[in-house]
Amino acid sequence: MTPAVQIPIEKWTGKVREITLGATAADGGTRAKTVTVGGENTLPFLSFEGSIPHSPAVALEIQDHYPNDWSPLLKEYWGDLLRDPAAWARKAEEVGADIIVLKLISAHPEGDNTDAAHAAATVKAVLGATGLPLVVLGPGQADKDNEVLVAVAEAAKGERLALGNCEDKNYRTVVAAALAHGHLVVAKTPIDVNLAKQLNILITDMRLDLDRVLMDPTTGALGYGLEYSYSVMERLRIAALTGDSMTQQPLICTVGEEAWRAKESKVNTGVPAAWGDWKKRGIHWEVLTASTQLLAGANIVVLRHPDSVARIKQTIASLMAE
Amino acid sequence: MTHKVGVRVSPPAPDGTRTLAAGREVSVPDGTLLSEAIRLAGVPMNLPCGGQGRCGRCKVIIESGTVQHRGDNRMTPEERAQGFALACQTAVTGDVQVLVPPQEAIVRHLPSEKAAKEKPSLPFECDWRGSPLVRRFFLTIEPPSLSDNTTDLERLKRELAKQHGIAEFTVSLPLLRRLASVLRQSWIEGKGWLVTAVLEMGSWLSDSGGLPRLIDLRPRQSGAEYRPGDGTGPTYAVAIDIGTTSNVVYLVDLESGQYVDGAATYNAQISCGEDVISRILYTRKEGGLHHLQGLVVGTINGLLRELAERNGLDLSEVYAATVAGNPTMIHLFLGLDPGYIRLEPYIPTANFPPPVTAGELGVQINPEASIDCLPGVGAYVGGDITAGVLSSGMFKTEKLTLFIDVGTNGEIVLGNADWLISCACSAGPAFEGAGVYCGMRATTGAIEEVWVNATSFEPTYRVIGEVRPRGICGSGMISLLAEMFITGVVDKSGHVNSSLSTPRVRVGEHGPEYVVVWAAETEKQERDIVLTEVDISNLIRAKGAIYAGFSVLTSSVGIDLADVEEVLIGGGFGKYIDIEKAIQIGLLPDMPWERFRYLGNTSVLGAFTALLCRDMRRELVAAARKMTYLELGADNRFMEQFTSALFLPHTDTTVFPSVMRLLQDRKATGKVPST
Repeated sequence: MTPAVQIPIEKWTGKVREITLGATAADGGTRAKTVTVGGENTLPFLSFEGSIPHSPAVALEIQDHYPNDWSPLLKEYWGDLLRDPAAWARKAEEVGADIIVLKLISAHPEGDNTDAAHAAATVKAVLGATGLPLVVLGPGQADKDNEVLVAVAEAAKGERLALGNCEDKNYRTVVAAALAHGHLVVAKTPIDVNLAKQLNILITDMRLDLDRVLMDPTTGALGYGLEYSYSVMERLRIAALTGDSMTQQPLICTVGEEAWRAKESKVNTGVPAAWGDWKKRGIHWEVLTASTQLLAGANIVVLRHPDSVARIKQTIASLMAE
Repeated sequence: MTHKVGVRVSPPAPDGTRTLAAGREVSVPDGTLLSEAIRLAGVPMNLPCGGQGRCGRCKVIIESGTVQHRGDNRMTPEERAQGFALACQTAVTGDVQVLVPPQEAIVRHLPSEKAAKEKPSLPFECDWRGSPLVRRFFLTIEPPSLSDNTTDLERLKRELAKQHGIAEFTVSLPLLRRLASVLRQSWIEGKGWLVTAVLEMGSWLSDSGGLPRLIDLRPRQSGAEYRPGDGTGPTYAVAIDIGTTSNVVYLVDLESGQYVDGAATYNAQISCGEDVISRILYTRKEGGLHHLQGLVVGTINGLLRELAERNGLDLSEVYAATVAGNPTMIHLFLGLDPGYIRLEPYIPTANFPPPVTAGELGVQINPEASIDCLPGVGAYVGGDITAGVLSSGMFKTEKLTLFIDVGTNGEIVLGNADWLISCACSAGPAFEGAGVYCGMRATTGAIEEVWVNATSFEPTYRVIGEVRPRGICGSGMISLLAEMFITGVVDKSGHVNSSLSTPRVRVGEHGPEYVVVWAAETEKQERDIVLTEVDISNLIRAKGAIYAGFSVLTSSVGIDLADVEEVLIGGGFGKYIDIEKAIQIGLLPDMPWERFRYLGNTSVLGAFTALLCRDMRRELVAAARKMTYLELGADNRFMEQFTSALFLPHTDTTVFPSVMRLLQDRKATGKVPST
């Protein structure tokens, strides 16, 4: 019997770029496995409409300095691992992460202000502890980002790291380092379609191939701008599918950082009893933000809590099932 | 294979440093560039753009011989036919004789130049003689006696009727109070009372004009040579443009219909805010409105005094003024509360303000003179734009025309004789030279055009007047930004590329910057003339707002930008705006240059026209009534278009194909480093 309703099929002309993070020994790196994201020529999870060759990936975020400002729930789970990035990374791999995102927070001039050599050594140690591909982010201060990321790029030559963050005011050095040593970059812009596109143009002008760029469109957590970032991601993705080559980079979303900053997940003092169990609430906050971002088109979600990783991986698996 | 190249320089310099007769000859290999041959012959020739065929400044005349031209799209067919060639784009393929004209004398034939006018004149169809706004009448009046005891006023009326056919007029109380004494002061032995009566010949409010109004009466010193104020000189009026940033006054002789002189300066209100919104906010302070009114009147009075001094006139002999300005400026000038312009639904007190007298406002022309503020259209589109539409003639053309007034408050009008739609966007004062570190108005000492060498990053510039540079004006900034962009000194987001090896790129007091002129080469020899990254971001915001404005306006009526047949540009750029460079930075749409026409300050030109020509003043009302107003503040497409335009030339590169081709060429020739 023919169905009463014909499901309309949208035919898109463009597709998201396929990007591989990490390089195995065969490709000049040391990773046990690589992760490829992107390649879809349809909106998220609409497999009846087009092809989605790769599942979205789940990353866990680690830092090279004890994260004082993190929620006690996260501190409780990770314990002393928070003081050892290599051990932390190993554990992250064990609990199911596809990618490790390493933030070189200790290099911040207002923090420990550790030097480039320290950053390179940390990255080497983490690379030694895990076989997963790595995203390496600087401390978020332009001069220091440049200093440490150049050293990291050199020390990890050939590993196909993703280096970040490139921003409109500070992208040249990072892009040049990625160009010289065979890495990728993360291009971060503040929740705006045009700004995202502009940064991609600037990076391309330096002749870095577009299949070596990830876009971080900036995440708004549940209750803190999630709809806004959803809308911008959706517009970016529709532009990509309609053939705008400067919006076709896979999207990486820093979900954990944003979700665990929310009052609802971070603390449990002075909150109404009706808010319920704190731990459940914190995980919900991260999972809900992540799953929403996945529906908006995220190719990589970066999380902080392993329980969220398990739940999001399950969500992805069900959404990807035929 | 080598060829002989003969080089002559023309014309011979008066001091004998350059001679025409001798000429020089060099032998060069086949394929040598003419510019190189000319250099070898010892004739100095600047290549401002570094020999890329970009600036068109190395034009020479091929007198004889064979050469091969590379693509030099800067030449018109006429120039080519006259034997002109660009030395940097021409290869020697045989024996050649070239003539090198003096470089500074070569001006580029951009369409904008044709429209550049030194002295404003009235539109052709304007009949200023038909119905002058103000007329002067010389009268000889028999003083009263016991046998003829008619009163002073009736006596004046009787004589005006008898001698000049003016049967009736009105007069204000202050003038009536002076009447008796003025008449008696005018007594001349053996002749009677000799006076000059000045009458405003009805207002523009009605077609009939209503009754004339006596605005001045003064004793006339007959016989003596003219002295300012003696009632025998010209009848003056002024056309005033009150811009948010720049104010301009034109002095006009009503009897000859001629422009006499002009003066311009920055609006003193700038100290209370750069754009209209911040001025409106300022009025909310205690006494703020009064203060702003005083500042703008003070600015205009300063300009009036400057004109009076330069032209030897008494300001009390200036008998009329027309004023063009955006609604906020007019509100502040008249002392009206502009608060509701800012608040939804954006309602000005009046779009057609009634005439007021100079005395009421404190403008130091004759206190009885009418001040006529030209009609506006909407909350942010005022008399300056209706004046611009009037002076540009766009309301009479069949062609689909886009009129862009590049000012602090950027206004845009689209349409033709059948329909007009307008909008306004806040561009900021950057193009008027304000809010930019080394910015200045387009006046003597301003750098008005710049070329940057693509390999050495050294600039070449042209200054207004034969002086050392003082700063950069709007056209200079457009030109400079375009050159910095094309040569890779800044990237598409306007950030300076600090990795270039030139001392001109550095981090200064205000962040990264490019040095255009070293202090030693400037007028005051005190500080370098630079363009900072902050300036650049101001410029990009200004051009982005204007680009977004006309993009939204055209799309709101379902018109593709490419269908616009003519683009008229108004603004205080002085004589010149380089269309090509304005396209390169994404200020103007990418279309053939011949569709653009630069009109100068259309606001003051419109005020000038309306002052002299009553028919045009009437047309102005019709134009204002015909114009639809699109409120961008209520249009969310604007913000989207704006952020998209905050890039060089634009985030959507497909809308600037010519600029993209140029960048591709630069990349291909390796002239621009990629990092």
